[in-house]
Amino acid sequence: MSVFMDLNIISSNDKNRLKSIIETAAHLGYSTVAINYVVEPQQKKQEIPKPQSVSDIFDKFPIVQGKSSPIKVLNRLTIIASDASHFRPTNEYKSFDLVAVYPKTEKLFHAACMTFDVDIICIAVAEKQPFHFKRAPVNGAIDRGVFFETCYAAAIRDTTMRRYTIANAISLMEVCKGKNIIMSSGAERPLELRGPYDIANLGLVFSLSEGDAKAAVSTNCRAVLLHGETRATASGVVYTMKKPKTPQKQEEESPVSKKCMRCSAHSWCPVLTAT
Amino acid sequence: MSPELEKCPRSLLVCEKSNFLNEKSRHDIHVSKHNFNYKISVLIPDCEALPANISSAFHSFSSYYLVRELPVYQLLEETFIESHVKKGNFYALSYNTKIDEENTIALLSSGQLILSLDKDTYEQLGLEGRPSLYNHKKAMRFVVTLDLTDKSLTPGTKRYQRVLSSLKDRLPLRYDFLLTKYNTGSDEDQTLIKLLSQYSYEEHKPAFSHHTLKNIPCPTLYPSDIQGKTLSCDPHHFLEWLGAVNLDISCENAADSFLSTYVCPEPQSSVSQALLCTVTGFISPENVFVLLQELRQYIDEPKFTPWISLTVHGFMDSPVSWGATEHGFLKGGENLYNFVCFKNQDYWLHMATGAQDGCPP
Repeated sequence: MSVFMDLNIISSNDKNRLKSIIETAAHLGYSTVAINYVVEPQQKKQEIPKPQSVSDIFDKFPIVQGKSSPIKVLNRLTIIASDASHFRPTNEYKSFDLVAVYPKTEKLFHAACMTFDVDIICIAVAEKQPFHFKRAPVNGAIDRGVFFETCYAAAIRDTTMRRYTIANAISLMEVCKGKNIIMSSGAERPLELRGPYDIANLGLVFSLSEGDAKAAVSTNCRAVLLHGETRATASGVVYTMKKPKTPQKQEEESPVSKKCMRCSAHSWCPVLTAT
Repeated sequence: MSPELEKCPRSLLVCEKSNFLNEKSRHDIHVSKHNFNYKISVLIPDCEALPANISSAFHSFSSYYLVRELPVYQLLEETFIESHVKKGNFYALSYNTKIDEENTIALLSSGQLILSLDKDTYEQLGLEGRPSLYNHKKAMRFVVTLDLTDKSLTPGTKRYQRVLSSLKDRLPLRYDFLLTKYNTGSDEDQTLIKLLSQYSYEEHKPAFSHHTLKNIPCPTLYPSDIQGKTLSCDPHHFLEWLGAVNLDISCENAADSFLSTYVCPEPQSSVSQALLCTVTGFISPENVFVLLQELRQYIDEPKFTPWISLTVHGFMDSPVSWGATEHGFLKGGENLYNFVCFKNQDYWLHMATGAQDGCPP
């Protein structure tokens, strides 16, 4: 198993609140968290926020309870898409470590599973699932290495949402058979976080097996992070790094990397399927 | 309701009964094989004050060292192997590392160095190992076992060089370690301290505490009936009651109390006072054996005490439980054993483990 991660902590402008959430997460035993910037593009205007640099939040990151290393903090972007034009991968997406999409219609869900360049597809928790999950797009997403995410903070806030969360999660598990699932908090306050073993037990309520439930908080999250890293590479095999060189040499190198980007495929990647 | 919700992670309980004087009795093997002990608790019913010989046994426990940022290749250094590992009775365990999340290192007294590594570390380090027994669908944990007393790993051979260079140059692993050595002489301590002085370390003595419990019900146990069919109680209930007593949980099961519904198992008798001692730290099995001898001597003397219980808890995050049997952490990582000593040297031994553990010997 790998370290425990919580990949959905809603970002806020209040720095102190963010600090206290991350401290609580470190105290509960999470080794990695991801701050989620949620964007709902209205009409045609797309304003992707720039992620706050992680070192701005803390000078010294809190130490994870029971270990000697500090907590790792990443940035994540979630697009709430109700139209195909809402999701357009631009350069601004590259500044985030993880990209997620929350499809609102069946057509978008199918497109997200099969073609969109995302790491995570979010499942509705606050409302009844408007469409049923079909086996074909879900299996297509599993083959591509895309993960489905269930958040549990809504279940803590309200009893009606608790029913929707559990019902939607169970119907997803029936289709995907417990593969490629991650569970995360979606917490806006420190009190909405729960410990990793408790979330693994919650996975049992969602009809996951014990091993699958524990993997949903650890191993699968690690796979999502690796998938996010390889999004910036060519087939996960070749990646470009900025080297501090003279400007002449940089121009020579860019045509080579352009060739690699052109042949990068989204369908099959040796690294992704291996992990 | 999903069928998964009705299942609990499995646990194992092995119960043995024998006599200490029986030559085939394996109590010494069981004690010595359980390498890493965190907590020992002793319960003596019908006892007023701490007996002197038991108190001196507790205070004679060897001290342990907590070293910060010790590189793992240091455990392979020639002088270290000669002066400590080959002589035996040396134990080391990485501190503040979780067995189900990250890498854990352990050095057993038999000279085996066990590295329980996650997938990334294993692939980067490049040493030969095998996948863990408790992997789920994908192999995420690997175990590398190096026998430091083996001929192929004597300093100077190619394999030794390769292992040393992997741990020193390819992927220098550094962890906080707990070290202890059961020594009979004091000069060996000096070489260890000289080695440790290169790093920041602290010496600790195991923390000892005791108190007397008044008017508690104790189960009546008969040495012949370990299964609890006719005369004594069921071993599960007995161990549950013992845990409740250790944690100071009330076993009265009063009608208006919602906190605890634990009860003392039948048949029971009320005892006016009982002595409970606990010691926590990084305790070597030899110390446990010395304590066991003292307890056997105590119960041999004519007393009211019908039985004495000695419980030893292992570390939840150690990579091995008994010998080199792999140990994992699913929802809990308990691996403990419990001796119940009776008069005329009869004893019961219960060995309990959690879900991801091999069957105790």
